[in-house]
Amino acid sequence: MNFLAPAAFAFAAAIPVVILFYLLKRKRVVKLVSSTLLWQRFLAETQASAPFQRLRHNWLLVLQILLLLLAMLALARPYFAGRATGGRLLVVILDASASMQSRDDEPSRFEKARRAALALVDSLHDNDQMVVLQAAAQTEVKQSPTSSKTALRRALQSCAVTDSPTRLTEAFKLAQPLVRDRTDAEIHLFSDGAVGSLGEFEHEGLNVVFHQFGRRADNRGVVSLDVRANPEDPGQRAVFGGIANAASNSAPAQVELLFDGQLVETRALTLAPRETQPVIFTAAQDRDGVFTLRLAGDDDLPADNEASIVSRMPQPVKVLLVTRGNRFLEKALAAVPAAEVTVVADSVDEAREFDLVVLDDVLPAVWPAGNLLAIRSARTNWVEITGRVEAPAIVDWRNTHPLLRFVTFDNVAVAEALTVKTPSWAVPLVESPATPLILAGEVDRRRVLWLGFDTLQSTWPLRVSFPIFIANAVEWLNPATAGAAQFLVRAGDPLRLPLAAPVGEARVRLPDGAERRLTVDANAREVVFGETARRGVYRLAAGTNEVTFAVNLLDAAETDTTPQPEIRFGRYARAQATTLRPADLELWRWIAAAGLAVLLFEWWFYHKRTA
Amino acid sequence: MPGNLLSPELLRRLEQLQLLAQRRAKSALRGERRSRARGLSVEFADHRTYVAGDDLRYLDWNLYGRLDRLFLKLYEEERELPVRIFLDASESMTFGEPAKFDFARQVAAAVGYVALCGFDRVSVIPFPERDADALARRGLRAVRGRKSVLAFFKNLEALTAGGPTDLNAALRRGAVEARQAGVAVVLSDFLDPAGYEAGLGALVGRGFQVNAVQILAPDELAPGTYGDLKLVDSETGAQQDVTFGRYRLAAYQQTVRNYVQRLREFCTARGVRFFQASSGDSLEELLLKQLRAAALWS
Repeated sequence: MNFLAPAAFAFAAAIPVVILFYLLKRKRVVKLVSSTLLWQRFLAETQASAPFQRLRHNWLLVLQILLLLLAMLALARPYFAGRATGGRLLVVILDASASMQSRDDEPSRFEKARRAALALVDSLHDNDQMVVLQAAAQTEVKQSPTSSKTALRRALQSCAVTDSPTRLTEAFKLAQPLVRDRTDAEIHLFSDGAVGSLGEFEHEGLNVVFHQFGRRADNRGVVSLDVRANPEDPGQRAVFGGIANAASNSAPAQVELLFDGQLVETRALTLAPRETQPVIFTAAQDRDGVFTLRLAGDDDLPADNEASIVSRMPQPVKVLLVTRGNRFLEKALAAVPAAEVTVVADSVDEAREFDLVVLDDVLPAVWPAGNLLAIRSARTNWVEITGRVEAPAIVDWRNTHPLLRFVTFDNVAVAEALTVKTPSWAVPLVESPATPLILAGEVDRRRVLWLGFDTLQSTWPLRVSFPIFIANAVEWLNPATAGAAQFLVRAGDPLRLPLAAPVGEARVRLPDGAERRLTVDANAREVVFGETARRGVYRLAAGTNEVTFAVNLLDAAETDTTPQPEIRFGRYARAQATTLRPADLELWRWIAAAGLAVLLFEWWFYHKRTA
Repeated sequence: MPGNLLSPELLRRLEQLQLLAQRRAKSALRGERRSRARGLSVEFADHRTYVAGDDLRYLDWNLYGRLDRLFLKLYEEERELPVRIFLDASESMTFGEPAKFDFARQVAAAVGYVALCGFDRVSVIPFPERDADALARRGLRAVRGRKSVLAFFKNLEALTAGGPTDLNAALRRGAVEARQAGVAVVLSDFLDPAGYEAGLGALVGRGFQVNAVQILAPDELAPGTYGDLKLVDSETGAQQDVTFGRYRLAAYQQTVRNYVQRLREFCTARGVRFFQASSGDSLEELLLKQLRAAALWS
């Protein structure tokens, strides 16, 4: 049996009061009568002789029955089945991102926001409906539309703050269909405004009420973290970090680098107002392990004061170059540190012993199984070649992609290129008006980098950007790099581990020491674990394979806890923070309490009158 | 006419009444009542065979002439009817508006007046025994003749009520003390925790023609005090907690009716005439209608 409103049992406290009234001795009026004989007979006849007496007309009885009937009626929760006017629809979006953990509001921004949302629940009319969405890295529908305040309160109580960044766009996209075409629908956003960009979200005249929390931004945090081989000394590792100061005054910060929990180095910084300062540590590494960057000191948001990254021992990259002769390519590959290049004229097997294969304008007899850099050569089911184009002009390249880091195509001319349609698995890195020239992506569980033109038929190998691009390509195509990127997970994103052999079960140890068991389907080729709302080091064991994941916040928007008085949507729309909003505060509790008081008074009065 | 007990108009009407005795008078004194005793009067009763020693004056000579045998003519002897009035003068009788005791005295005065007018002997026996009005009590013990009416009324008026009642004991003693049985009139509220059965039974057993008049106060028939009460018995001092409201009035009245009914049934079963009156009722109603209809007098 379940109770919709278990809190109502608090009314049981009234029972001892009633009993107390019965315990109280009545004050009786002393009256001298001729004889009590008749009275004794009367009492004996009306009380003892018969357990029941004839029902007499008694106003007290009538009132009590009426009271019981009303209470029963209320408990039966009557409703009308008619087409009554529907109430409002309120969509509550509760920001559960890391920045809501800030302690500048008592006890925290999140708790304060939750209380405000609960107050909003209290103010609902009976026919109003509400939806509760918890927005963090993923948006969770905590409660679908309902009028039940108990369910809504339960849903709000079940919300928990996470260490993940906010992706409000997802939440708004979820809310939008609910409130579309309803003039009486409102979206109530309970957030601190540290939500990143909502630029891609089209507002479309949504009725958004922004309840803003947070008073100040006294926070410093780690916003980026990377570990690489030290370019100057291959035996050492370089740890790159970004430390941001969200406060509007400069603040000292002490940055500690730990390796597997052991303090390696400490560095003192002074952060200017609203500055993000890079820090670079170099450290020797003799085994696979976890580097942790930690900010000492106290601020409003502890969640971003620590970030970890899994660092594996550098391994040489085995590269197979299949070419009919390309000295530029050979030189560029040889220049890549830790690359062991083997040059062959033709590929005759799957080349499983190599980390990556470079196909330079050759069509192999057997397609290699690993990651691939293909120049003017591709499987037909990967790229659909529609024709050729003479001297395509390079008009755009995506320099934010890691492959094109420090790479420009300013002075590059191409004699001829294949024309293709961009396939669904790839993104075009370099484009001409007629066709994409370079594509990169993942297909058939491997990384493929495709060049649509012969490098020897272009000026590119003569440019300094070519060896940089090749170095980037080796880095990007190196499975170890891919793995390292895989082990650095943003809080809220799932952990993914590809499986070589099927396993029945996987175990995950959470940062707090708890362990979760996952049942893995026998046909699954990947283990996915989604419970990553908390930052820290997760260890996943599947079969004989044990992998360490570092889950971090690493989000500048979350670290910047500056209270935002408005949120921008798309290009033009914005929502101003409301501090006060006319809410319909319910009175029935007070009326019920008054009714109870009247009832007690009536009882007391009855006793006083008859005393 | 004397006293405040009875109005002159009532007295005038009472004068016309005469006590009806269902049984023959048993008094030793001669009076105006028919008795079982054979004696001197004009009413022929019977003949019997002469035995030696009989008064020759009563021989029926005509019969002797016809049958040649000696018969004695017997005449009914007229004797007086002793009327004993048991008057409850306990504390409980002082209650009511008007007081039950005053009403009872008026009834006693009326009965006594009728009896005295008929040359019967009237005894008023107030109970319980009290020393406070001993003189008046002595004066009420045996009254006879119309000339005594004034003193009778005065003594009745001088009576006071008080003390605990013991109806049974009083009636039993009255039954035992009476030299001859006659008419007994019991004036009481019959609210005695010890009951009334033994007392009334003793009177009936002694041969009295018993008339029981239960007098209750209007407040006892329909109490007007409501609420949580602690009732104190005026005679025994016993306390009784009662919560009483208007809605329980009917139940209370049913209790009273039940009590009266039991008393009435007890009386009817023993040939006792029973009357019930409220002290607030009209005295004439009781005296001239109820008692007359019950053939106490005519």
